[in-house]
Amino acid sequence: MQDATIQLKPDSRPIPVILLRHLAIVLLFNLIGALLGTYTMYVDRSFFENLVFAMCVGTLAWGMIDGGRLLIWGRAVPSRLPFILLVAIAMPAAKFLGSVIATQALGLNPQNIIDHQSKNATGTIIITVLLCSIITWFFWSKGQMAVLKASFEAEKARAAAIEKQALQAQLQMLQAQIEPHMLFNTLANLQALIAVDAPRAQRMLEQLIQYLRATLSSSRSQQTSLEHEFSLLEAYLGLMQVRMGARLSYALQLPPDLRKTMVPPMLLQPLAENAIKHALEPKIDGGHIDVRAIQEAGMLKLSVTDTGLGLDGPVRQPGTQLGIANLRERLRVLYGEQASFSLTSNTPCGAAAHITIPL
Amino acid sequence: MTRPIRALVAEDEPILAFTLVQILARLWPELQIGGVLENGVAAVREALAQRPDVLFLDIKMPGKTGLEAAQELAEDWPEEAPFPLVVFVTAYDEYALAAFEQAAVDYVLKPAGDARLTKTVERLKARLQKPGDRDSELERIVGQLRTLMAGVPPAVPMAAERLSIIRAAVGNQIRMIPVGDVHYFEASDKYVNVVTADSESLIRTSLKELLPQLDSNQFWQVHRGTVVNVNCIEAAVRDEAGKLSLKLRGCSESLAVSRIFAHLFKQM
Repeated sequence: MQDATIQLKPDSRPIPVILLRHLAIVLLFNLIGALLGTYTMYVDRSFFENLVFAMCVGTLAWGMIDGGRLLIWGRAVPSRLPFILLVAIAMPAAKFLGSVIATQALGLNPQNIIDHQSKNATGTIIITVLLCSIITWFFWSKGQMAVLKASFEAEKARAAAIEKQALQAQLQMLQAQIEPHMLFNTLANLQALIAVDAPRAQRMLEQLIQYLRATLSSSRSQQTSLEHEFSLLEAYLGLMQVRMGARLSYALQLPPDLRKTMVPPMLLQPLAENAIKHALEPKIDGGHIDVRAIQEAGMLKLSVTDTGLGLDGPVRQPGTQLGIANLRERLRVLYGEQASFSLTSNTPCGAAAHITIPL
Repeated sequence: MTRPIRALVAEDEPILAFTLVQILARLWPELQIGGVLENGVAAVREALAQRPDVLFLDIKMPGKTGLEAAQELAEDWPEEAPFPLVVFVTAYDEYALAAFEQAAVDYVLKPAGDARLTKTVERLKARLQKPGDRDSELERIVGQLRTLMAGVPPAVPMAAERLSIIRAAVGNQIRMIPVGDVHYFEASDKYVNVVTADSESLIRTSLKELLPQLDSNQFWQVHRGTVVNVNCIEAAVRDEAGKLSLKLRGCSESLAVSRIFAHLFKQM
């Protein structure tokens, strides 16, 4: 990804290519200048003479301005004021030098030319200044366009990067959610149950479907109702209870008036899965898990408490800390200072996780 | 065969345990299943007490994993009894099946159906009929556990940080012990005992967590519960029973080396 690092290069082609292209455009402008001089300004010279003058002055002016720009700024975008100064110096210089060269080339009498010029001073100067300005403006805006285009591309790349990150986060969440161990063990239980207790297998399959569906759909949405989150937990804990048997007991408490309350998805689920995976499953006697939502002083308080191995259990898997860090980060992004999260020891054993978010 | 073949099943999920026992009863009616153990600790205890011929070990169990249970059994198994044939069982193949190919007698993915278990039963029966094989079973599993343990990622993969000072609470002070001063670490329940020339202090961690933070060239694990500073080892001594122990410099105590780590003390 190169979102912010894209350099605003107006033109990345080799310098000779740029110069040749510019020269072609300049020659075209020179031709227009000669035509204008001959047919509109009544400069007292033939078209051919005017063309020679225009070519000399125009090409010199371009050479000085474009060459000067490349010498001073290289490929970077010139700063405005010094550039205008460069143009202001280059114009009269090119006008004078170009006229001398053209006179020599046409074999005219220099004295004649000076007289001539003083006679048509206004016309030639107007043409020179006008054309120089137009051509400079032409190249300048072309450069600006390139810069704009580059920054537009950069912006587009940045937006794509953000989108990709969001997708990746979602994917990671999904992967974390449906853990292979959990899925395969559940399927193994299911297969075993089909043979011995078909109705129970049927119920377990329903729970698995509900769990998978809820997990997949809530990962995709921004907001979900507490009712939905609790039904997901119910399905998950139901599955785990079939697997762990008497080693696991659980209770879910959701007051009726909080059922429709909207919350970000995947707040409670990772905490419940952590409690199972790190605290209750590895504990020989298993234990109890309690999930509840309460409303208190305008805040929504969610808690997951367990009677498992506790926070200073023998080996605290690094995965837990990562999950907790992700949760904290999500709360911070969503609610700033208004939300809080704590993970403390439960008495007499186990751990308690508390989330407080504004209602 | 006069004596019945006896087996133990270690599986924490009741439905899976029930099904496994049921299928085994159908496929191998003569097999006597001495019990179903719900956790690794009970599995080790019962296996040592009953000394079964066949042991089905779930990999993921509370208390101790199947691998840890096998390691403990290999270390503590009495010389005179033949080591059980071990069948590892798992639902999710996290330790790449390949690692097990030469390992246990078998490595079965749950849910194991009749067809898969029939194969397992045939293999076990064939192995049980060759007594010569039984004698080398312990040696085989020790070798296999060694390779497996080398392949299993450490419990704390993030903690690559090397410990240089051990901070141990002794009374109301924190004692700072340079790692180099430690003669050996000894696991004791939920603690690790840190033994130096003149002190012993308990730290609240497990050997499993401590191990990846130690320099593996200086500190060798010689037993599931012991990690020793090689600079402090004077000699490895084998007694009449063939058991290996370490004599430490300037210290009367000796440390037992388990079968699994005995290969560290072969002569060059």
